[in-house]
Amino acid sequence: MKPDLWNNRDFLAGLLFIVLGGLAVALARDYPIGSTMRMGPGYFPTVLGGILFLFGVYVLLRGFRSGEKMKGEWGYRPLALIAFSIVLFGFLLDRVGMIPAIVAMLFAAAAAGREFRLKEVLLLAVVMTAFSAVVFSYGLKLPYPLLPGVWWIS
Amino acid sequence: MDILNNLIFGFGVAFSLENLAYCFAGVALGTLVGVLPGIGPLVTIAMLFPITFHLPAVPAIIMLAGIFYGAQYGGSTTAILVNLPGETASAVTCIDGYQMARQGRAGPALATAALASFFAGCVGTLLIALAGPTLGEWALKFGAAEYTSLMLMALVASAVMTQGDAVKGLAMVALGLLIGVVGVDVNSGMARYSFGIPELVDGVGFTVVAVGLFAVAEIVVNLESKEAREVYTGKVTGLMPTARDLKDAAWPTVRGTAVGACFGVLPGTGPALSSFATYMLEKKIAKDPSRFGRGAIEGVAAPEAANNAAAQTAFIPMLTLGIPASATMAVMLAALTMQGIATGPQVMLDKPDLFWGLIASMWIGNFLLLILNLPLVGVWVKLLTVPYRWLFPSVILFCCIGNYSVSNNPFDVYLCAVIGVLGYVLVKLECEPAPLLLGYVLGPLLEENLRRALLIARGDPTVFFTRPISLAFMVATVLILVVMVVPAARGKRHGT
Amino acid sequence: MQDSHITRLLALTLLVSSAHAALAQAPYPVRPIRFIVGFPPGGTNDILARVLAPKLSENLGQQVVIENRGGANTAIASEMFVRMPPDGYTIIMNAPGHATNPALLKLNFDSINDFAFVTLLAESQNLLVVHPSLPVDSVKALITLSKKRPGEINYGSSGIGATPHLSGELFKYMTGIKWVHVPYKGGGPGLIALLSGEVSLYFGNVPTVIRQARDGKLRALATTGPKRTPAAPDIPTVAESGVPGYEVTTFYGMAAPARTPRAIIDRLNSETVRALNSPEVRERLQGLGADPVGNTPEQYTAFMRNEIAKWGKVIKAAGIKGE
Repeated sequence: MKPDLWNNRDFLAGLLFIVLGGLAVALARDYPIGSTMRMGPGYFPTVLGGILFLFGVYVLLRGFRSGEKMKGEWGYRPLALIAFSIVLFGFLLDRVGMIPAIVAMLFAAAAAGREFRLKEVLLLAVVMTAFSAVVFSYGLKLPYPLLPGVWWIS
Repeated sequence: MDILNNLIFGFGVAFSLENLAYCFAGVALGTLVGVLPGIGPLVTIAMLFPITFHLPAVPAIIMLAGIFYGAQYGGSTTAILVNLPGETASAVTCIDGYQMARQGRAGPALATAALASFFAGCVGTLLIALAGPTLGEWALKFGAAEYTSLMLMALVASAVMTQGDAVKGLAMVALGLLIGVVGVDVNSGMARYSFGIPELVDGVGFTVVAVGLFAVAEIVVNLESKEAREVYTGKVTGLMPTARDLKDAAWPTVRGTAVGACFGVLPGTGPALSSFATYMLEKKIAKDPSRFGRGAIEGVAAPEAANNAAAQTAFIPMLTLGIPASATMAVMLAALTMQGIATGPQVMLDKPDLFWGLIASMWIGNFLLLILNLPLVGVWVKLLTVPYRWLFPSVILFCCIGNYSVSNNPFDVYLCAVIGVLGYVLVKLECEPAPLLLGYVLGPLLEENLRRALLIARGDPTVFFTRPISLAFMVATVLILVVMVVPAARGKRHGT
Repeated sequence: MQDSHITRLLALTLLVSSAHAALAQAPYPVRPIRFIVGFPPGGTNDILARVLAPKLSENLGQQVVIENRGGANTAIASEMFVRMPPDGYTIIMNAPGHATNPALLKLNFDSINDFAFVTLLAESQNLLVVHPSLPVDSVKALITLSKKRPGEINYGSSGIGATPHLSGELFKYMTGIKWVHVPYKGGGPGLIALLSGEVSLYFGNVPTVIRQARDGKLRALATTGPKRTPAAPDIPTVAESGVPGYEVTTFYGMAAPARTPRAIIDRLNSETVRALNSPEVRERLQGLGADPVGNTPEQYTAFMRNEIAKWGKVIKAAGIKGE
């Protein structure tokens, strides 16, 4: 039963709710609660956090009782790579410009796929960069630097 | 008939070559902007605002309006194709639309969305023409108490949204409500859950949440297994909806239009609430609710009709009261002000060419959108045949740019990555994202109005029952609760 | 081999630095200028900037591009702005939030010394309007009624810390009456609440409410500025009507990062003032309810110091808390 718990959907979901709900209530302690008829900023979040916590307990116990194992695998690698590619984009856009940001992001994201064909990714990078530059910078006039110090403002 | 004369006059105005051209430009641009997440009609209208200085009033407002309601058409495109809502209201279309796309029915989904939107747009415009001021007055009857009971009703009904496990669905709503709490509290000015991060002081943006939960999570799910998995079935069954489809979609379209027209007038709710509300309504009254979430065409037709109807009636407060209900309307109002035009109850009399010309052009615009979008369906469907390994990085790219463009701040992009991870975890644990989104959209409105209603009533809770409209919603809420609980008490819920 | 590399490198360095020096003396501006607006698109600040930008671009000979960085009432934009190079290619629009933030939030920048103020672009004032259900037709009558019914009258605003709210708080502070503040999310919902009677009074944006007042849907009592507004010269100011010394103006200004060369500030100032004085911009600003000003950098800096001090006092007295 024990090892199966970590593979049980309800158990994990319940745990997640308990943690999030608990956090919500804990953080809301700093906000004045007020009374039911004169609610303060802390009232609603505390109630919600509490409700979420209770739901979490219910779901957790349900998972405990059923103990069924979850099917399917977790995609840690694609998850990490996709998240990383997004963060990379945000990081690079301001500092180095849209073009390097897009290229880096596309490479990182493509690496999350099942197959990584360098030539294809390069081509994709070129096409998408050109498309973005035309549509976003030229067409929609979004004020993002294309390269360090290079803007496209017509 | 006076209205008929006015309409004929309006069409005369709208059919001039100049006005037609600006109408087309507006709706085309609106569609493009609607397709892209994050970049919405507001930014576009704001950027084009100075251009209106050099245009006469009528074509200027025709173009800006076209951008606004055109965006609602575009928003559903990516929602259906890749589970990426381009506009707030399109989030609901993702639920069934995307599933239809995966089953090879992207064509019918897109076409139905366009047709439903067209119908709704026409009816919405008609309503402005016939009952504009009346609807404006109706909006004024909505005070804090009415909004509270309306939101309460919607939240209670949200249990209907969930496909599977009811408890987890409600937990998702609660979680969504909590995410909506992040930011400055209207009633006290206090920043909640902001962790000292200034970007969080204004809350978690819709684009961040919707993109992370829906698009990003979905992409990771599709990539998670090592064996190739067919995301979109190779068998595409046809570009246009079948007769059966149209028949199924007909009544939901009508109902969606009704709901959207009513809610669109209410400032602060608009298209998003309308699409959620009709979806829940359709699911509840359907003969076989289990089809929803698996590619039911009603789940596409109704929300699309609703959000488009709402997009038309949203003009009413601005036109008939002279008060902009949202930032987008504020820019349009400013554009009119720059032209020396004051909107308000007099505008129909003072400037009939503007008012009726705009009404007529909205019809023309909706029609242009239909003929613009229907042929594009073929193009979009072809796009889905692109190998997934090319498609998904491009989708992520649009997500990134879209998120960044909301406030020109990388923080939104980082936050989207975090929400994406959370979204993936939730999907894996069989917790649905749609109820969360509903909670996130409605939660802040509920709290804001509840506290405001109690503040104005000086703590007297009977206010929700003494005001007639509010009472009506409260009664409806109780009814919904009863309808939901009774069958559950009698027998097991079969995951509907 | 190595020698020639070093020589080449030296030559390159010399070239670049002399080019840089030359550029510093070059006529300003030679490339587009970023005009940061600390609000999302669609707000009055944003619209005002977009009214000014085309004319200013024309005067400067280079594009002035609006960049929105909304959040925390200009605090987020300012935070990023003060780190920009003081070369005159980034300017920012100041709003009343700039003057109220020091009292409400913990800021990572100095609201006076991190900025080189260019000019006060425009000022606008609010109009005190009441719903017809309130049986008053003047400020004096309002004060009398409020004293008879303390804590009963609701006044709306577009949000905590926003000008309508602060206008109300200053009024309460100076007259000693008690109103209940009902904040809304923005001016639109606030005004609709006023029209429907949910709140009884509001300090609203002149162009938007004056129409309703002329139509009889609302009653206009007084304006909040030091002088009557040209848009409605028949309406007295609050100061004239029984609260002497009362003054709330919404200001819109322009600033550059601190240490921007004086020559550039002067150039920006003169071209902006020229733009503000042009008939099209004047007319459009007035349509938005804003009166163009265009004063000197010194005057604007003094003004800003004054505003920050004044609002600090009011906010403290009213007990408004930020984070």
